[in-house]
Parts: sequence; structure tokens; C-alpha cells
Amino acid sequence: MSRNLLDIRTLEPQDIHDLLKLAQNFKTQIRAGQTLTQSPQRVVGLLFFEGSTRTRVSFEQAANYLGYRVSNFASGGSSMSKGETLKDTILTLKYERLDALVMRHRSSGAAHLAAQYFGGPVLNAGDGQHEHPTQALGDALTILEHKGRIEGLRVAIVGDVRHSRVARSNAWLLHKLGAEVRFIGPRALMPVNMSMLPGTAFFDLEAGIEGADAVICLRLQRERMQDGQISSVKEYTRLYQVTRSVLRIAAPQCLLMHPGPINRGVEVDDASADGDSSAIHDQIENGIYVRMAGLHWVFQEGSPQAKAKTTSIAAPKRSPKSARTVLKAAQGKAKK
Amino acid sequence: MKTVLRNGRLLDPSQELDIIGSLVIEDDQISDFGDDVDEEGADEIYDCQGMWICPGLVDPHVHLREPGEDQKETIRSGTQAAAAGGYTTICCMPNTSPPLDSPSLIDYILDQSASPEAGGVFVAPVGALTVGLRGDQLTDLAALKRAGIVAASDDGHPIQNSLVMSRAMEFCVQLDLPIMAHCEDTTLTAGGSVNDGAVSSMLGLGGMPRSAEEIMVMRNCLLSLHTGCQLHVMRVSTWGAVEMIRQAKYLGAPVSCEITPQHFILTEEACADFNPVFKTLPPLRTQLDLDILHQALADNTIDCISSDHSPHAMYEVQVPFDEAPFGMSGLESVVGATLTALVHTGLLSPLEAIRKLSTKPAEILRLEAGSLKPGETPVAQVTVIDPNVEWTFDVNKTFSKGKNNAFHGMAFKGKTMLTFCGSEIYRDALLDSKRYASIL
Repeated sequence: MSRNLLDIRTLEPQDIHDLLKLAQNFKTQIRAGQTLTQSPQRVVGLLFFEGSTRTRVSFEQAANYLGYRVSNFASGGSSMSKGETLKDTILTLKYERLDALVMRHRSSGAAHLAAQYFGGPVLNAGDGQHEHPTQALGDALTILEHKGRIEGLRVAIVGDVRHSRVARSNAWLLHKLGAEVRFIGPRALMPVNMSMLPGTAFFDLEAGIEGADAVICLRLQRERMQDGQISSVKEYTRLYQVTRSVLRIAAPQCLLMHPGPINRGVEVDDASADGDSSAIHDQIENGIYVRMAGLHWVFQEGSPQAKAKTTSIAAPKRSPKSARTVLKAAQGKAKK
Repeated sequence: MKTVLRNGRLLDPSQELDIIGSLVIEDDQISDFGDDVDEEGADEIYDCQGMWICPGLVDPHVHLREPGEDQKETIRSGTQAAAAGGYTTICCMPNTSPPLDSPSLIDYILDQSASPEAGGVFVAPVGALTVGLRGDQLTDLAALKRAGIVAASDDGHPIQNSLVMSRAMEFCVQLDLPIMAHCEDTTLTAGGSVNDGAVSSMLGLGGMPRSAEEIMVMRNCLLSLHTGCQLHVMRVSTWGAVEMIRQAKYLGAPVSCEITPQHFILTEEACADFNPVFKTLPPLRTQLDLDILHQALADNTIDCISSDHSPHAMYEVQVPFDEAPFGMSGLESVVGATLTALVHTGLLSPLEAIRKLSTKPAEILRLEAGSLKPGETPVAQVTVIDPNVEWTFDVNKTFSKGKNNAFHGMAFKGKTMLTFCGSEIYRDALLDSKRYASIL
């Protein structure tokens, strides 16, 4: 029985430790130029409905190192452009006898739908604004290498948290491994109900970044300006750009991270992007090893929780407020 | 033909009647009811002991999908589903393809629903308020009314422009035609598919804020108050919307509203598995909303219960959550859901439940339905409900073509056993054959 890698939220901390351990071993072996014990011949389908360079190349590299073969499907040239439903595309790939499916899709939850019909392992390479689990694993590996631990660290995630799958996956992973997560950004780019994510919200960059051991900048999408969620790039830059001087407020040797692609001069300034504290290139390389780990891990005997169906929603344990108490409080205010 | 429904609990909110007794249907009409009826010459007798005998149910909000979307439902399958649900009169919504914005389309609906192959229930069409449901130019409402519409609505395409809505209300006052309004400020809900709250935050799904509903409820109530136009607010879902309606009623606005079982039973958490059958319009809200909606049902701020029957083909629903259409097929689960969640919990008395399922919607839309008084309705409209039968709702056993129902697999207590609209149009398989006697 294989398993899926659909999100971080429903993983057990032990699963995350296993995945990171696997990735570290793969990294050591590849860096040492060792040939890996060849895995059984497996074919992995890469199904990308949204444009992606780094994640797709990263998965291809990971599959190559593992001795898997890769089959690429681009949405533009596939049957989807002929009006086929996602369900039928997935069923087709199942009967094409693919062993695993890596999928990116613009809809939150699309990976869950794929897992429901594919039958074999599905790895989520980003679904809408929901999760991007392998990005978070790569980021965690990077932090682990630089800091030697994750537990007890303070990590600030800066930018468009509301629309970011990277922010969601990173927050859950870091929280599950015992880090303190802080979200920094304008109110309009924060989720409506912050108590449902494991972190504390800050609207002020300097207050949020104080004492941070790592800062993860999120990419700012141009649509946010068109929607009026922020007034202008200039305004955003003035309030939330991570610069060398802002990083002085953070903990010494604070890591600067970014999932890419970077808008230089918006999310970060040149000096910090290219500075000593930048771990951006490590994130990219580590992405390969965690994807190797993911592609290896999904074929192992699965723990029951990593099945396609998620459990019901539960607010993060650290949060003192349930959705209901938040709403009750809001109602109390409204009635006054 | 003389049919006797013997020894049931007669529930008729139109006469505040709640007694044990029998009811006689003779040549398509209710001829007698009470604790002492004449059974002489009866052709058939149903032993209704332990069951409710009530006016045929009335659903103010049904999508029959014809013309144009018969992959979802047809007038035939939809009216059969209505009969099985205990309904004898249903109002069908205008968002078909093309929309019901011209008298010839109203003729088509009335012809099709009267066909012998249809379910035998009355279909009362609701006409489009604006041409093509586009929200700008009013339809020829006088002609539509002459063709037989009972109300006007743009339903799922709510009119955003306040001037257009105000003009529509002024004209409808003159025509004495109620407006049914789905209340949603679509600038606030663009891209949304769930309540803007816990689930949207956690799963990264687009949120639909409660304020989007409440702003439009408030606007429409104010326009109703100032124009005097009768307004029926469709499917309320938030505590704020209920408070607006309570206030509007207090101010004397001619306003009524409805709720669906999904909105008084389920919360946004049902969407946490990305299952699109839980994607409703308005979205499922929170436990706090449920608590206040329940109070509003009990104190009659919420006037009636509708199914918002929104059937879809399964291939339309088995897609990513944000791409799925809104709504669920509901005609055949309303009675079970209402009795289970509202009556057996003690929130509504049987008489109040039937008022909200039959008499009140008939009164709001001025339909000849919702009463057991002889001669009150064109033909006998009677539904027999067994309030105590326990069953599991299974979409595969429904008449509707739409198998998208959030209550699939849910245990219900209470079910429609018999439906009469003139003659018998539905008899449930769970009805014990020993209860039936045919006198030859």
C-alpha cells in the first residue's frame, strides 16, 4: 500500500522527520558522488497545469537520481485543452500504468481529487493556495543545515500569506517541529481567520522580525495590486521589503529565504538577496533531495493518516481560540 | 373514487388544527375531515395511525433546469422528485437556458409540468426580473404575470445595481408581484467558494464573507420598506442576515425569508475534505450562525423552509472545489432533514414545521395550496408523513437526476409516505401494505 504526499497539515511529526532524514542521506550520497542503489523501474508522471520551472526541473532531477523514468504532461498540449475533465485525465494516467503522479494545479484541493481517482501515490507539487509540501520540506532542510535544529527557532514568514501555499505548508511544518512561526504582512494579505493557522500575525515588519532566526519572504503576485489588496508596489516595498538594515533587528546570522522567483527590489533588496545570510541557493538544491525523499517515501508502506481523505479541520493546538470563540467575540462586539 | 386517510394526526396550520382524526378525498377534492367522518362507500382506506396528515408541501425554491440543462434535471424527473418529497406545489426558478424571461417560456413550463408523464404536482414558475438575468433591463413583467408567474427573481444572478432593483420593486408593487431575492454583493464574493472564515483560511479556498450577504439583505429590505414591494429573501445563512430581517419586519417592511436544511444543519467544516457537494450558495457558515438560525426558526423570523433544489450532473460536481457549481439536489431530503433536526429535537412543533413547509410559503406566494379546508385548493393536496420511521438517505434511491446531495448516508427520522395532488401521486416503499385496504 503506497501513500500520498498531499499536504503537511495532516502529516505526523515522525513522517516529517523521516522525510528530512531520507533527504539528508540522499544529499550525502549524491554530494559524495556515490551511485544510488537503483530503485525498481518506476515511471513518474509530471502533470503541471500551472507554469513552473524550478519545481518541475527539481522533480525531474530527483527522479533521475533515483533511477525513475519521467513522463511529462503539459496542460497546453494535453487532453485538458480538449475539454477533458481532471477526473478523466487522472483516470487515463492511471490506466497508462504510471506508478506515481506529481501534480501542480491552480485549484486548492486538486491534489486530493487526483489521489481519489489515481489509486497510486500522488505528490502535490502545489495546489492553488492550499499547500506546497515539498517546498516546505526543502526549506526545513535548509534551516536544519544552517541552524542544526528547528525546535525553538523563531521563523518569520513575510508577505502575501493569504494566497500562499508556501506559507501554509511552511507554517505547519515548522510548527509541528517546534518552531515559533510569525506571519508578517498587511491585513488584506492575511487569512481572515488567523487562529486556523499555526502562527502569530504581525502587521509591522520590524516588530515581527525581531529576534527571528530565519526570514522567509513570499513572492508578491502582481494581481494583488489589480485587486486593490495593496495600493502600490512602492507602498508594499516601503512597509515590507526585507533589507539589510531590517535584518539587523533579527537574531544574529538570521537566514534569508525566498521560494522564488524573486521580484528583486520588492520583497528583498539586492544587498540581502546576495548577502552572506542568503540561503536562497541552498533552498533550490535541497529541493531536489527532499523531492527524492518524497518520491521514495510514497512507495513505502504508508501510515493510515496520509491517505487521500483529510481529517476534519482542527485549529493548531497552540492557538488558544477556536473559530467559534473568535466568532462569538466578534458577535459580542457587533451587539455592543 | 373515495379515499379515506383514517386516524392520523391532522395538522393544518391554515386552521390551527392539530387533532387526531380522518380525512376524506372524494373525486379529487377533500370532502371531509375531523374525528367523525363518513367512511360509507370508500374505495380505499389508509390506516394512518401514528402518522401526520397535512396539507401538501410547498417549495418556494426549486431548479427544474428545463429548458436547456436536462443533463441536470428535467421537469419530469424534478416533479417526480417533488412528489416523492411530499410536495404538491413547487416554484421553479428562472435561471434556465434560456432564462424564463418571456411568456412563451412560461407556457412551455406550464405545459410540460401538466404532461401525464410528469410527477403530477403543480409547478408555479418564477419569472426573470431582468432580461437574460443580466441585471440591467427589466423584463416585461406584466406579460409574464399574465402568462402565469407567481413571483419574479434573478436568483443566482443577484441584481447589483440599486437603481435597477428599486425600479423593479416599484413596478412589482403596481403588479402586486412578490420579488424573491438571493442576496449577495458579488464584488465581495468574487472568486469565493466557501465561507470566508476557518476553512478558507486553513485550506486556501476563496472566501465569501458574511457581509456580502448581509449588505444585500439590508439593501433589499430597505428598498422593500420604502417602495412597499413584497420581498422574499431566499436562503438566509448568517446571524446578521436574520437580524436585518427581524429589524425590517419590525419596521413594517413586507418581508419574508426562507432557509434550507443544509443551512440549518451543516457548517463550513463540512467543506474541509474539498468535497464539492458541500458547496452551497450562500456558503455553509458556522455553529454560531446555526444557533441563531435555529432561534429565528422557532420565533418565526424565518418564515419557511425551502429545498433550493439544485441538481447537477455528477461530472459537473466531480471537479476541483473552486470549479464546482453551487447547490445540492434537495427535494427528497427536506422532510427527513427537517423532522430530524428541528422537530425531534423539540425546536419546532409538528404544526409549526408544517406551517414552514406548506402553509406559510403558499401564503407568501399566494398559491392555492397549504390547507386542508375543503374547496380551499383547486384539487386535494395532502401529504402523509410518518414522523417516526428511521431511514438512511441514499441518493441512488432518489427520483431526481441530480445525485449531488450533502445528506447522502445520513440517518433520518421521518419520511413522506403518501402524496395526493388530486389523485395519489406517490406511495413510499416503506409504507406497510397492511395499512392499506382496497374495498372492491
